[in-house]
Amino acid sequence: MAVGERADRAASGAGTVSARSWAARLGQDVARIVVLSAVAGLMLAFFASGVYQLVAEARAVENLTFEDILPSPGEILDAWRAHETLLLDRHIPETLWETLAGLSMAVVLGVTIAALMDFSPLLRWVLYPVLVVSQTIPIFAIAILLILVFGFGSGPKITVVVLFCFFPIALNTFGGLQSADPELVSLLRAMGASSRQAWLKVRLPAAMPSFFGGLRIAATYSVVGAIFGEYITAQHGLGVFLKRSYSSFRLDQAYLAIILTAALSLLLVLLVNLVERLALRWYYTSRRSDWRGPGIY
Amino acid sequence: MAETPCLDVRGVSKTFRDGGQTVTALENVSLAARPGEFITIIGPSGSGKSTLFNLITGLAEPDTGEIVFDCGPVRKRAGRVGYMPQRDLLLPWRTVLDNVILGPELDGRPRREARRRAREMMPLFGLAGFEDAFPDTLSGGMRQRAALLRTFLTDRDVLLLDEPFGALDALTRRELQRWLLDVWQRFQKTILFITHDVEEAVFLADRVLVFSARPGRIVKELHVTLPRPRQSISLLSTELREMEAELLDTLRAANGDPALPDAR
Repeated sequence: MAVGERADRAASGAGTVSARSWAARLGQDVARIVVLSAVAGLMLAFFASGVYQLVAEARAVENLTFEDILPSPGEILDAWRAHETLLLDRHIPETLWETLAGLSMAVVLGVTIAALMDFSPLLRWVLYPVLVVSQTIPIFAIAILLILVFGFGSGPKITVVVLFCFFPIALNTFGGLQSADPELVSLLRAMGASSRQAWLKVRLPAAMPSFFGGLRIAATYSVVGAIFGEYITAQHGLGVFLKRSYSSFRLDQAYLAIILTAALSLLLVLLVNLVERLALRWYYTSRRSDWRGPGIY
Repeated sequence: MAETPCLDVRGVSKTFRDGGQTVTALENVSLAARPGEFITIIGPSGSGKSTLFNLITGLAEPDTGEIVFDCGPVRKRAGRVGYMPQRDLLLPWRTVLDNVILGPELDGRPRREARRRAREMMPLFGLAGFEDAFPDTLSGGMRQRAALLRTFLTDRDVLLLDEPFGALDALTRRELQRWLLDVWQRFQKTILFITHDVEEAVFLADRVLVFSARPGRIVKELHVTLPRPRQSISLLSTELREMEAELLDTLRAANGDPALPDAR
């Protein structure tokens, strides 16, 4: 009872609320900083001990120097300068094209599968197990097979990206469609809407937040998918660059490729977030007002 | 009035199967609504009031009996009446303006024209300035008014309102009752209105129908003789109180209680 009363008073007295939530926010921020620095410290210690181990072993076995294994930021920058035109003209556009084409096709395929499963219980019964089993087969094995069979072009890589990306989109969108409020659908039917109208005006928009959740996961997978495809065999792309760097033991170039891959993935996720914010203004203006977001994400 | 809208429910029964048991929700219910009439329906929970609305809107089919619109049988009932369920059920991804034009939009009428008309109606429904707000940012009373405006803009002659003010606080409820009477008089609609509040039932209606507990039947029909307009009538008037008492007695009997339980 006392708790309920306090909650009531907190809800009615705006002044107390803002003071209290200000204090609560400060507390949250302090807690956040403490946890983050603890985690960062642990990771740093772990990483440092790993590097130490690596260096010690390399010295013992291969007679390598520290610089060979862990190039300095300056060296990575030099690698970028040396290959800037090649990377910007050939490799990055190729990888970006494969990623975006694959992701777009994964969106179409994923949403189509979700819609089909939503429409018909029979298709749900047939497709759902296929969908799940498709994820139990190692995608890497399938990808290698695909590329070995279909060869160098960007087509097989796009297919790999689709394979990596369609599942989270299909599953999340399907979940979103299923979670649409049945009373909203009933209301539209009572108002004389056709089932097509009811689907387009209720179920599809209701699924959008879940769809974007799936798309965000898919976006992080997509660049990795493209790189992986290229790594197996290709003429252009960051994956080939990475492979060539490894085979010629140019670790500075390899690190450069890794950094570029991470940057591309991050940019893509940020793009998805931006589109989501614009498309789901209703979702973020109301319920998510307290949620300040996890930093850059 | 240009047309003569009418709704005639004739001897309708409906049973459900609920886990192997057969539940009779409605039994031989008949009611005829005159054009422009305001009918309120009260009854115990589970007496099939909302089921009746589901039958009228075409969300379900009656087992026996028929439902007739405009004095003729109708093949497809969906979309014939304006329906407002207990929850406001505004689409959260649409602004208030785009929510209230849902009816015309589903009818395939041009959106721009519908928006223009909706904008004109906004002040009357106390929504001026909130055209572009999303439903989740509105208060309960405003959401309810938006749902009512949506129901009005369907341009149907018969409106079914299922406990539209049930979830509101007493003060907002009073305000909206008076305001609903205003709107009803201005637009000459036929209204069927479900409520749990006996006072509300009498205050609004030309006619009050009392449903019995399951199976739902109409056990009493009360013509409310209070003069119109009612907006200024005192809720303490003797007439109103007497009718309330009469309805409460009927409800108690419908629930199966002979009288008030004695205080121990």
